[in-house]
Amino acid sequence: MAEHLQSNVSQDLVWEICRPNNAYLYAGFVNNKAVGIQPAEKGGVTLTTKKTKHLNRPVANKNEVSWSGQKSGPKIYKGIVNYTAKQGYRADLRQEAVARASAIRQSQKPKKEDPELKLRGSKAKKAEEKAT
Amino acid sequence: MATRPTVTIASHDGNPSGSTHPLPAVFKAPIRPDIVQTVHAGMAKNKRQPYAVSEKAGHQTSAESWGTGRAVARIPRVSGGGTHRAGQAAFGNMCRSGRMFAPTKVWRKWHQKINLGQKRFATASALAASSVPSLLLARGHQISTVPEVPLVVASKAFEGAAIAKTSAAIKLLIAVGAGPDVSKVRASRKLRAGKGKLRGRRHRQRRGPLVVYHPDEDGKELVRAFRNIPGVETSSVFALNLLQLAPGGHLGRFIVWTSSAFAALDEIYGSTTTPSALKKDFLLPSNVIHNADISRLINSSEVQAVVRPAKGEAKTKRTGVQKKNPLKNKQVLLRLNPYAKAFSEEKLGSKKLEDGEPERAAESFAKTLHED
Repeated sequence: MAEHLQSNVSQDLVWEICRPNNAYLYAGFVNNKAVGIQPAEKGGVTLTTKKTKHLNRPVANKNEVSWSGQKSGPKIYKGIVNYTAKQGYRADLRQEAVARASAIRQSQKPKKEDPELKLRGSKAKKAEEKAT
Repeated sequence: MATRPTVTIASHDGNPSGSTHPLPAVFKAPIRPDIVQTVHAGMAKNKRQPYAVSEKAGHQTSAESWGTGRAVARIPRVSGGGTHRAGQAAFGNMCRSGRMFAPTKVWRKWHQKINLGQKRFATASALAASSVPSLLLARGHQISTVPEVPLVVASKAFEGAAIAKTSAAIKLLIAVGAGPDVSKVRASRKLRAGKGKLRGRRHRQRRGPLVVYHPDEDGKELVRAFRNIPGVETSSVFALNLLQLAPGGHLGRFIVWTSSAFAALDEIYGSTTTPSALKKDFLLPSNVIHNADISRLINSSEVQAVVRPAKGEAKTKRTGVQKKNPLKNKQVLLRLNPYAKAFSEEKLGSKKLEDGEPERAAESFAKTLHED
């Protein structure tokens, strides 16, 4: 278990202080162990996890892992689960983490253009007349 | 923790200077948002200026009631003729151009007395909260580039009026990792909504880091260097103010300490057992529980060893669960009707009758039935 610098602080206490001003059910900045998933370059995904060793050193207190867009989806998701849910990082949010990674990958794919509309009926006739 | 935690002192370029300082006892004070909020609410009221409507407003007419018998309300009415004002109702709070209800007075109770003990408790509490990175983040400070919280910068960086110019001050803030917080403030400057614009409160913006210095050792030149950076405030370590330590009553102000100011904290606030050298009759408040990590306490082997095993079965109330259709969901069906298992295994639903088709009634049966 992680130690805060002082014994008068704990994540439970911090959450009780923040909760009146917080609209969400959980906030990563409160927890000693938190996970962030962000898009990386070229269709990849970056996983950031909060370390518990130096809670009062914001710079040193995070780990980053990136997967390139070349990796298949399931491999990335498995990696995310291995790094987080299996390491004591809020196992109940496993599905949310995978879903977020999946959504990020989906959003990075090039968008398919709609096929050109084929004209039918009277409109097609008119277009033909125009062409000739 | 057996050992007293120490804090690294950063040099002027943001790298660790090599020296450390033990964490002053004030940072172990209990964090009490309730006390901080009430004290803040009181202190915020103490800078107000009295205002009131004019004493004469709504009474500058010689109106008198017409009395009864004129088929109009008995409210005082403006006397005379020749203008539209004559005959109109006056004085009452319901009247046009009448006096307001309960006219405001300059002798309203503008200021609040706050108990000194509470003020000191709140200050200690706000200081303790300023050393918790998660509370800083909750207040909205950008601290991802800060090497350590609490952030202590060696007083050497301020020696000989080294920080007397704003450019030097900005350079220092960026070097020690406070740059993002300062630029956040700069970007947050917005025009205030409403009348406040006309009353000297034209813009509103976030609060950035608070620079706490030791006036005797760091000099006061740095105040002028920092004062033109938006959102950045300076304070002497001997005159810390709750309005700056917990703006809006929200705990967790980002504080940049000079090392001499940080070192002075133990003298100023003392500890829970040694009284403060500068505050009369002041001991730091002690925590009700030594370890604030409740889940760790509960799961500790000492507690778990004496806890009775839970009685009865584990019961979880399931809320927000979709009702399953027993006609489609076999498991739910079996829970409601255990016979369904045998019914389906025997295929009773699709079994032919054992004795074949029922025999048709004899023709004589109908005859007998209809006989009169």
